[in-house]
Amino acid sequence: MSHMHENAMTRGESHHTRRVPALALALSAVLVLVATLALLPVSALAMTTNKATARPNEDGGSGVIGAMDTRLTWEGTVGDDEEVSSITLSLPEGATFDHASTRITVLDGLNRTSIDGTATSSGNSVDVQFSEGIPAGSLVRLEITNMQFPADGGDYVVSGSYTTADGQSHALDDSAAISVIANTPLQAAVSWLDAQPWVAAWNSNPFLGMFFKPQLLLTSFASLFPGWLVCLGIVLVCYPFAIVLGLAFAMLKTSRHKVLRAIAICYINLLRGTPLFLQIYIMFFGLPMVGINIDNNVLGVIVMAVNSSAYLAEIFRAGIQSIPQGQYEAAASLGMNGFQTMTSIILPQTVRRVIPTVTSDFITSYKDTSLLSSVGVMELMMFSKNLTTTTGNITPYMAAAIYYLIVTLPLIKVVGIIENNIARSERGGGPRPKRRAVAGASQESEEAKEELATSAEVSHTEEAKPATDVFAALSAPFVSHPTVDLGGVADGE
Amino acid sequence: MKNSMSRRQFILAAGALAGSAVLAGCGGSSTSSSSTSTSADSSSSSASSSDDSYTLVKDGTLTVVAELGFAPFEYMNDKTGDPEGFDVDVINAVADKMGLQCEYLPNQKFDTLVPLIKQGGKADVSIAAITITDEREESVDFSEPYLDSNQAIVAIKGSTETEATLNDASKQVVCQGGTTGNDWITENLPNATCVPVDDVTAALTGVQTGLYNAMVVDLPVAKYMLTNSFSDLDIIEEIATGEQYGIAISKDNPNLTKAVNKALEDMKSDGTMDSIETKWFGSTI
Repeated sequence: MSHMHENAMTRGESHHTRRVPALALALSAVLVLVATLALLPVSALAMTTNKATARPNEDGGSGVIGAMDTRLTWEGTVGDDEEVSSITLSLPEGATFDHASTRITVLDGLNRTSIDGTATSSGNSVDVQFSEGIPAGSLVRLEITNMQFPADGGDYVVSGSYTTADGQSHALDDSAAISVIANTPLQAAVSWLDAQPWVAAWNSNPFLGMFFKPQLLLTSFASLFPGWLVCLGIVLVCYPFAIVLGLAFAMLKTSRHKVLRAIAICYINLLRGTPLFLQIYIMFFGLPMVGINIDNNVLGVIVMAVNSSAYLAEIFRAGIQSIPQGQYEAAASLGMNGFQTMTSIILPQTVRRVIPTVTSDFITSYKDTSLLSSVGVMELMMFSKNLTTTTGNITPYMAAAIYYLIVTLPLIKVVGIIENNIARSERGGGPRPKRRAVAGASQESEEAKEELATSAEVSHTEEAKPATDVFAALSAPFVSHPTVDLGGVADGE
Repeated sequence: MKNSMSRRQFILAAGALAGSAVLAGCGGSSTSSSSTSTSADSSSSSASSSDDSYTLVKDGTLTVVAELGFAPFEYMNDKTGDPEGFDVDVINAVADKMGLQCEYLPNQKFDTLVPLIKQGGKADVSIAAITITDEREESVDFSEPYLDSNQAIVAIKGSTETEATLNDASKQVVCQGGTTGNDWITENLPNATCVPVDDVTAALTGVQTGLYNAMVVDLPVAKYMLTNSFSDLDIIEEIATGEQYGIAISKDNPNLTKAVNKALEDMKSDGTMDSIETKWFGSTI
């Protein structure tokens, strides 16, 4: 009022003197502000706003989306010398408390005081009248369910006022801002699904609604993606290590030394004989207890690699031992030592024989990463579990199943192709490579021996060649033609 | 005249008997009160009280399901493997008041309890320190609250973590899946990674070993676990939530909720509740 007056006075003044009262006005405004600030500690006796939070309502996410039902939780403490009889909370224009229901909790320290109240909502504000005055020092929590924030995202503060028992009304401090996001395309798609009659009909079937709820399937897909990457990452990083370790233990197990064999047998049997789940628990809870702290994901990789290596060791051992004795004898007859025999004769043949089994083991390992969810590695099952606990619906697990199948189905197909190729080549079928055709050998065993001699010579004479040989051996199962082990079979029988 | 009178009386009495028999058949409880009432008003009271009848999974037995790893509310006795705890005593007393036997189903994960009661057919009630929330009330009915509770943040002793420092992307805060602690983390520590695990022991062991930075769990459980098995952990913050535990009952069985509420009320008035509270918490709450 006085400002108005001064303003009016200002307007009456002539131009050159106008500046002075304007300055005075600014000064007085600053003074008022300073006075208010100085008074604030004194008015700490008044009710304070502790916090205001909103429950995340993004399906499969952690955001608070505007114009969608959520729950606002507001907490305040009653000042020392007052008794509060009502509280009004308001949000900026666009928010709505219509259809909202309010739960009132009044606490004295940790003890609940039974005070009830009635909430009346009108647009963007809600007014809560308490059945009796809330005593000084009490904590008041208002949980307003099914309210909505404005549709456009942004940071919103909860403001409001309260009345004390003596009928005086005071303003409440603004709460810290709650960040709200605008609707996402995904959420829009979910809303669209919500409105479809066929979706409602689909969900009304208890089984379909519980396992294949379309809305949840959509949001699960989006929010499970990072978990899928973690799964893939873990298994792809762990597998090379597992192969190397597995090969090493396969060598130890086929070694002539008793002690080395014993070590390998212990390692393999312990790991193959206990559930992976148990190994995960031991590693995740045991290692930190002895003071070794490793990042969860890295530890996950280690556990998976160690576990797989035991299975791979057995696969490799079986593969190596399946190579006929004649191959060793032939290599020895060419003057190869043990190492040469292993690297250039035995292993290349083993590789193609074990590829189907190794791929199967890879599939198993990939699926077994799910067990890491029990110790807090944020992989597929962990994300699904989180979603299932928040939604009470099984659909996120179905979405996870699809993510697993995306990887496993093609791999299973690949295993099938390789097995077919190997079976065909073992039977002596399939196209002949050109090099062999030039040799024109009619006897298969002769042909094989020749090949063996050639590759042995090559690795003997040229140092650069073995790499391509190894590559050829590795890629052999995929290109479908019989190579050395064809001879091996003929040789062995 | 005399004949017709006695016949009418006979029919009346027979009706009353049939009424209470029907009640006994489908209810199994509260029949004693109606059958003791006089035949004259019994026909009317049994007609109205037959609406009070509730269904049970197993006749004469209150079938209970719980997550039995939430001491001191429910846990398995080390030696016998039987469930015991505050909730177990409460539900036994409730069953006693209703004239029923109490039977526990095998241990179930906490986040499956409400869906199981909602779906029905396996268990009649679930008492497992379940906080009454609006969200859960959409799926099941709750009895009147039987205990008030709060939340706590547990971290390793000497930890400098606070609610503010935990709200950071580098922090992992563990909880039991589907609990109000889980909700509290997602709402109040939005930046931290919330890790829901199946049981409290695994979570606390994780905090102990440094796998997780902190755990949010019901305060009475935190207190109990820290005194009994995790002495190297500390409650770094008590969160006053004032939440209330209720017994979850299927929405299709409203009369069972009424009967349970009646039993709870009786227990409060006759001091049973106080003695159970004193047994488990040293004082009445």
